[in-house]
Amino acid sequence: MKRSKTMEFGVGLFMLAGIVGLVFLGLRVSGLSLSTPTQTFQLEANFANIGGLKPRARVTMAGVTVGRVESIDLDTDWYDARVVMSLDSGLEGELSQDTTAAILTAGLLGEQYIGLSVGGAPEMLADGDTIRDTQSALVLEELIQQFVSSMANN
Amino acid sequence: MHAACPKEGYAPMTDTPFIEIEDLHFSRGEHDIFRGIDMRIPRGQVTAIMGPSGTGKTTLLKLIGGQLTPDRGRVLIDGQDVHRLSRKALFALRKRMGMLFQSGALFSDLNVFENVAFPLRVHTDLPEAMIRDLVLLKLQSVGLRGARALSPAELSGGMARRVALARAIALDPELVLFDEPFVGQDPISMGVLVQLIKRLSEALRLTSLVVSHDIKETLSIADYLYLIADGQVVAHGTPQTLDANQDPRVSQFIHGEPDGPVPFHYPADEFYRDMLGPARPQGAK
Amino acid sequence: MMPSLLNKSTAQVTRLGRKGCDTVESLGRAGAFLLQSSVGVPSREGFSLWLRQMHFVGVLSLAIVLVSGLFIGMVLALQGYTILVDFGAEQALGQMVALSLLRELAPVVAALLFAGRAGSALTAEIGLMKATEQLTSMEMIGVDPLKRVVAPRLWAGFVALPILTVGFSVVGIWGGYLVGVEWLGVFEGSYWSNMQASVAFASDVGNGMIKSLVFAVVVTWIAVFQGYDLVPTSEGISRATTRTVVYSSLAVLGLDFVLTAVMFGGL
Repeated sequence: MKRSKTMEFGVGLFMLAGIVGLVFLGLRVSGLSLSTPTQTFQLEANFANIGGLKPRARVTMAGVTVGRVESIDLDTDWYDARVVMSLDSGLEGELSQDTTAAILTAGLLGEQYIGLSVGGAPEMLADGDTIRDTQSALVLEELIQQFVSSMANN
Repeated sequence: MHAACPKEGYAPMTDTPFIEIEDLHFSRGEHDIFRGIDMRIPRGQVTAIMGPSGTGKTTLLKLIGGQLTPDRGRVLIDGQDVHRLSRKALFALRKRMGMLFQSGALFSDLNVFENVAFPLRVHTDLPEAMIRDLVLLKLQSVGLRGARALSPAELSGGMARRVALARAIALDPELVLFDEPFVGQDPISMGVLVQLIKRLSEALRLTSLVVSHDIKETLSIADYLYLIADGQVVAHGTPQTLDANQDPRVSQFIHGEPDGPVPFHYPADEFYRDMLGPARPQGAK
Repeated sequence: MMPSLLNKSTAQVTRLGRKGCDTVESLGRAGAFLLQSSVGVPSREGFSLWLRQMHFVGVLSLAIVLVSGLFIGMVLALQGYTILVDFGAEQALGQMVALSLLRELAPVVAALLFAGRAGSALTAEIGLMKATEQLTSMEMIGVDPLKRVVAPRLWAGFVALPILTVGFSVVGIWGGYLVGVEWLGVFEGSYWSNMQASVAFASDVGNGMIKSLVFAVVVTWIAVFQGYDLVPTSEGISRATTRTVVYSSLAVLGLDFVLTAVMFGGL
């Protein structure tokens, strides 16, 4: 009987270790936070070219992460990319209407993310609004093409 | 247990045989094992089925226990057709049977006590104290009460078979099937087993069915014998009548003669032709 | 000459056909077996049998799985570092280690180790019970060996392997940390933050777990079925044990490709 008690204890410990491990994978490795998911609001932005931007990419402001890209799809009205971002609700009503969104690259080969910078207009963006002023991703091939054609023109 | 509380449909002791086997056919692949076997196993007696090894005696026990299904014919146990029963009814019927396997077949992860307690725990809701008493009683009857804490790996072959016997009678069955109970036993444990089977069968009024090819031991405990060979019943009768039987197949087996209707040689070409023939690789046609 | 050649080829075709039929038949038997044994009403008794098997297949496999995970994490970090440093991207080491472990290496390697450590033992154990007529005698006592012997082992395998996989990942990531941060001098903050930025719980950890669950079902199923279905001789047991390891390894690697294509192929 004693042996079976230690065995039960061992199995219990084993299962507990599994749960603790899963929690570790959640918190430490995938960066989930225990606090209730922060309140967010959504903004949209249309880009002529998103380059290599992916859903779940960071949205930053002055280098500080303030949100994530929720979804990317093709807008068939203008044939450009519509990007939906969810931002910290702390910023709701704090961003001016002429805020610009640019697709930036971390380093030469790094991931692409969206950088926001505020303007000076008095009206503020609300949930579901669209950022008008956007700057597409830099596509290396296009840059080279421009460079080559300008050289040819000279 | 069952003797104390007869179930519905439990026929009172009558002269009808406990097991009836009618026109049983069974084959494995293209190999016919039984070709029309008829048997009647009377209640409360020790019946032995004998035959040379390889005649499917163990298969017959599996057919009786409902683990194999015959190609034709039927097996009636206490009036119930074993192979027509639902799974549930078959398991209920098996509760009334015990089976002693050639190897003992003790559960290797349980000790001796738990092995004997196993059928009780599975089929009854008896309190722990009563299970303990019953198990010790059964172990006492096979003389192994002192070995209750051992694991099956620590038992000798004879002891394992005795524990298995205690387990087979744990639920006080009406029928016990013995599969080669004497095989590979030293003379002492052989004697012990013969004694046990005889005594227990009498004391518990068991119907016993012994499958064996150990003639001397089997003749000494059996009330009635069936001799099978070539998939058929060759002869049957009491030990005395079989001993006097003049059929060469019967007397070869009963008296253990090396050559006779069952040949010594495996079928082959004539010897001189094989020896003088051209050299060729073995097994080539 | 002609007729004998014809005969020979006919015989060969016949043999091939029979082999095909046998394969389909044993697959059918294996499916029915899985269904019959894994579906059932849980009971108190079944729970304690399950617990016992959890000890055998889970707790006792923990050591080999954790040690392997540690070394694989360390090797990943070492190899990854030498490649990443060429691009000046050694900060991405944590991301690389974590993603390769979570998505791929932990489920697959843990399943392979599990097949070798626990699967072969399950096959041999059940095979031995069959060879010594324990399964038959259980049936004669009126207990279904599928429920009593097979079901607890199946369920223990189903639960144990995903837990072992979690352990493998955690220890592997820690091993990567030891080599990358403590030894090679990658900045600790970027090791963790790059990891956290790139690992998504649902799609990386979750999909890895789904993989591991699928492998658990397949490996345990193969192991237990091979044990239950083997020819009950000592040669049969050794062959079935080999088959368990071979079949489960192939099944794990093949399924891994299919699952990866479905889960991450779209990215």
